[in-house]
Amino acid sequence: MSILYDEGQQAIATESRRVLDARTDKARLLGLLEQVGEFDETFWNTAIEQGWTALALPEAYGGLNLSLVELGLVAQATGAATAGAPFLNTSYGAAMAILHGSDDSAKSDWLPRLASGDATGCVAFAEGSSPLPPKPAITFDGMMLTGRKPAVPGGLKADMAVVWASLGGRPALVAVALAEAKREPVSSFDNARLYADLVFDKTPAQLLAQGDDALVLARDVLARMAVVTAHEQVGGAEALLFIARDYANERKAFGQPIGAFQSIKHRIAELYGLVEIARANCIHAAAQEGQPGFAVAAADARLSATEAYDTAARDCIQIHGGIGVTWETGLHLHMRRARSLAIEQGNTLFWEDWLVDELLKGDAA
Amino acid sequence: MSDLDAYRDKARKWLESVAPEFGRDARRGLSVEEDLALGRRYQRAKYDAGYTGINWPVEVGGQGLGHLEKITFDGEEMQFGMPNVYFGISLGMPVPILIRFCEDKPWMKERVIAALKGEEIWCQLFSEPSGGSDLAALRTRAETDGNGWRMSGQKVWTSWAQYCDYGVIVVRTDPTVPKHKGLTYFWVDMKAPGVEVRPIKLAGGDSHVNEVFFDDVRLEDSQRMSPVGGGFGVALTTLMIERYVATDSAGFGPHLDLFVETAQDIDLNGRPAIEDGRIRSAIARNHAMRAGLDSITRRAMLMMQAGMQPGPEGSLQKLVAVRSRQKLSELGLDLQGNEAFAFDPHAFVKEDWGTSWLNAPTGRIAGGSDEVLLNTIAEKILGLPQDHRPDKGVPFNQIPA
Repeated sequence: MSILYDEGQQAIATESRRVLDARTDKARLLGLLEQVGEFDETFWNTAIEQGWTALALPEAYGGLNLSLVELGLVAQATGAATAGAPFLNTSYGAAMAILHGSDDSAKSDWLPRLASGDATGCVAFAEGSSPLPPKPAITFDGMMLTGRKPAVPGGLKADMAVVWASLGGRPALVAVALAEAKREPVSSFDNARLYADLVFDKTPAQLLAQGDDALVLARDVLARMAVVTAHEQVGGAEALLFIARDYANERKAFGQPIGAFQSIKHRIAELYGLVEIARANCIHAAAQEGQPGFAVAAADARLSATEAYDTAARDCIQIHGGIGVTWETGLHLHMRRARSLAIEQGNTLFWEDWLVDELLKGDAA
Repeated sequence: MSDLDAYRDKARKWLESVAPEFGRDARRGLSVEEDLALGRRYQRAKYDAGYTGINWPVEVGGQGLGHLEKITFDGEEMQFGMPNVYFGISLGMPVPILIRFCEDKPWMKERVIAALKGEEIWCQLFSEPSGGSDLAALRTRAETDGNGWRMSGQKVWTSWAQYCDYGVIVVRTDPTVPKHKGLTYFWVDMKAPGVEVRPIKLAGGDSHVNEVFFDDVRLEDSQRMSPVGGGFGVALTTLMIERYVATDSAGFGPHLDLFVETAQDIDLNGRPAIEDGRIRSAIARNHAMRAGLDSITRRAMLMMQAGMQPGPEGSLQKLVAVRSRQKLSELGLDLQGNEAFAFDPHAFVKEDWGTSWLNAPTGRIAGGSDEVLLNTIAEKILGLPQDHRPDKGVPFNQIPA
């Protein structure tokens, strides 16, 4: 896959930005912050109508058979808009786990519905501070799931979950309908992510993979979601870069635009560097999908995009001064999202270790 | 295999074949003079093999190929530690300018070929004690004298001037107009009466830069390379001429692999350093940053191959890479603890934390300081305002010194 976007890919980027610009309402997004359990249905209906849920899924299941490159470009646009629902990456992650798992009935049960947007998925791997615990406490036994997964992104509204569990002391990846599960809402600093504790009590589930296969599959799903998320982070960081640049050009102090002060202009130029490096890593990672270097590329994208988005949120607010910390200006939407995306799909500490392990593996080979 | 890959393969084979004679190991322990002599022989071998002037016209001794072949060769060559540093400025800027602005002069081709063969070296006399980043603030002056000029003043930071035969120079020919408008561009014979070169010993211990003093040096009007008062434009062209150069995400310092090796070899409080979270964090973050720069480079190459103009993000390379090299080199020394004190000033920068660290500040200043590069990114790419410039539009001789 080339790392130069072709015309079709560029059109997807432009069109998704245009659509989201037209349908994103800042007041609505701010409202979501003050409620637990609501998401931006306008955004999600747009995603379905535009076919974004189907983008990277195979034709056999109603998908459009495109790739992580196209999904990444849409994610970049949703990141710029601080879109008010988490499903774009989580439904995709769940679909990938099912697609590459071993259960054919799970494929026919879920993939067409995830592709059409009739159902939404979430991915429940983390326990405590560990994004992928070696020995998950939640258990899968006799085709039934028992235990708790804390603060699952999208968990409050998703129709199904892919869960990282233990099966006879070894890891397993299972798919579970959430209709019969108990959900406990988590009140968060970014409520539009729909975090919920998922509680299972002998809930019927389908086995997707177990043992070493489960670990390989879970890591691949995590890496794919990390690449989608990294695009979303770059979209957010780039939006902040331009907001900061425009403000620095307009706002005057001591008789000149504040962007003429090096303390401000250099800060913005540094942001440009962080954004472009993260973008370059995202483009490379998306094009490496399915290749041997994918895990390293995903980690590079993840780490640089997290740094770019957090830094951009911090600096953009700082450049705005007092107005930047008001509720109404909404820069905190990005600040909140930068942190929620930084922790979902594994924190920086996890990805740093992941990357070094991968590099050392390469050394040994 | 693409044509470019085939070119890379062929170039690499040639470089491997001459590396025993000219490469890193052959150069160990040589004095600068011996190394320069080896460098001249290497440059001649390169000329004979068709690897000089790769993207220059055939009419002036070049190969008539593209930027891509040039960058590809340079990228491969960088890995062998060849003695090419003496010719980098010469063939990078002054000689291409000579080709462009002295087309009409009969001796031009002779000079260009002598430079390509490493027989003659050119320097670039721009910076002055009062004009570095602010190039147009320079004070070296030339006054008309019959059918020529007389030049006096001082330049500084002139790379390899002590070994140069010729230089290109910008001087002030009219102090009564605003600073950019009173400059004129000449070439100068570095062996002419009145030219004195004094090497500057740098913090790292070597002396590749110089002060150059001009005391009533005679210039013929035929040595003028710009209209009178039109020197600033030619100077900018000189600085812009090598738009696409071989880059190195390691900031021309050690590759990250060397840091990983160092961390694998060393124990920290009884545990392998490679298992230490702080060390792992540094490795991971440097990898992510360098991978981003490498991806930017690969995309730029593909765009050029497709006949497109690469994006402006290429301008991040030096800024980001050299800064990170400096910090990683500090950490490399830290990691070695007391063992870091055993220092070899002649070790190669790409394989030694000490020399990399000691020479890193030069990299953050030469060719545009971090601050100047940040200003350029902010102003040229992002459209932020220029710095306050109180000397704008003021005649040069009325600007407070």
